[in-house]
Amino acid sequence: MVTKTEESQLNKLENQVDNGGGGAWEYLCLARKLKVRRSDKVLKYGLSILNDSRKRSSQGSDEWTLYEQVAVAAMDCHALDVAKDCINALQKKFPESKRVGRLEAMLLEAKGSWEDAEAAYSSLLEENPFDQVIHKRRVAVAKAQGNISVAIEWLNKYLEIFMADHDAWRELAEIYVSLQMYKQAAFCYEELILSQPTVPLHHLAYADVLYTLGGLENLQTAKKYYSSTIDLSGGKNNRALFGICLCSSAISQLARGRNREDKDSSPDLPSLASAALEKEYKLQASDKLSVLTSTLKCLRVSS
Amino acid sequence: MASTGGGELKYEMAQNAYIKLVLHALKHKTSAVNGVLLGRTSPKNESLVQIEDSVPLFHNHLGLLPPLEISLIMIEEYYSARGLGIVGYFHANERFDDTELGNISKNIADHISRYFPQAAVLLLDNKKLEALPKGKDRSPVVQLYTKDAYKNWKLVAEDGGIHLTFKEPAANTILLDYISSEKWQEVVDFDDHLDDITKDWLNPDLFK
Repeated sequence: MVTKTEESQLNKLENQVDNGGGGAWEYLCLARKLKVRRSDKVLKYGLSILNDSRKRSSQGSDEWTLYEQVAVAAMDCHALDVAKDCINALQKKFPESKRVGRLEAMLLEAKGSWEDAEAAYSSLLEENPFDQVIHKRRVAVAKAQGNISVAIEWLNKYLEIFMADHDAWRELAEIYVSLQMYKQAAFCYEELILSQPTVPLHHLAYADVLYTLGGLENLQTAKKYYSSTIDLSGGKNNRALFGICLCSSAISQLARGRNREDKDSSPDLPSLASAALEKEYKLQASDKLSVLTSTLKCLRVSS
Repeated sequence: MASTGGGELKYEMAQNAYIKLVLHALKHKTSAVNGVLLGRTSPKNESLVQIEDSVPLFHNHLGLLPPLEISLIMIEEYYSARGLGIVGYFHANERFDDTELGNISKNIADHISRYFPQAAVLLLDNKKLEALPKGKDRSPVVQLYTKDAYKNWKLVAEDGGIHLTFKEPAANTILLDYISSEKWQEVVDFDDHLDDITKDWLNPDLFK
């Protein structure tokens, strides 16, 4: 996950390079550090350095990291010949390297030779059972073939060993949501909230899943997590503000005709959230203000 | 009545509605995306549905309700004042060779068809899209689904009684132009709007 500051820094560099202002190497380093997936740009800028022998050798030993980075980007863009060239260059320099062997297996995966890729990954794992990248590539191979249940099984096994891999928890949660397995997705977000309790996005995702599951208890809990999202993000999260309004509306509908205790425990919250949203829209998206107001009215009417 | 299979139901899609959704799918090549179709039944012919516009919805977590509910209310509020309603749903799967209409799509489409029984579901046909630059295909690069007599979403055969045509016959040519100029980078969806409300899901300047 990348922060807003990091993203704008990356975008600024990207614009600079696109407009001929240089900084390709800085961009490539930042992209590598942040682990973002901008393969078309990485491929373009990376090749511009690799194809220029002066620029290439001025990077010293970083040249080889660049070859690896461009190889992966090339595979993502399906420029398999470019990927092969990069891997060949790395092979010549590091003939017995397992890291290069990993790239060769990835190339098989990129070509769609699933069985060969699977075999290559399995044999690499035999020699190094703790290579996280290869474990995850195996999940990707299963996912790419549409074997989602196998992907889930392997991802779960991976997380039993590497339970601190937050990106893997998020990937698993996303897969569960795409299959409408919301209870399982909720479990993943619970793990994430436990290990990173101050990251508002986990609270938000958890609230969204709970709301989707429905039922009075889940809605009340969702409302709490939308509130904590707003708290942790300094009130700047519009999705959470909308979430509060949705929860209040849904809770009132469910609690209609029920005992007083089940009714909304914090009746001021939705009007505060609505006011915050209207203020934001007035400031930044005034042309949408009337649509927002009628939307909020709809939610109040149905409650 | 032409709302069940075997009738002469026709969908006529405006070029901009179509292109916006395909460009949206191209902007987010590594995820599933969806969108809604806006339109009306033709006042002169009740078996003709005119799809006038579209709104790209999400490229993340398509299966979550809160963003979906907010977007549908907002879109209905905006368009009903202009005489249009939600008449269909568009979906593009995450994987190239996945040609199935998934459960999330069916659920959302069921909801839409409760308010508009002749709702159309369009599923992006990746193979047709890939072949577009090479051939001279003038038909939409989507598969069309409608509800059959048993209320199931059924793929409409190309020679069936239900048709999807373009209002402007050169729609694919224009689409190809936009693809080569990478126009997809400018498409804004509801996810983008919820993350930054200054981004406009109406995409007012996209085709200017």
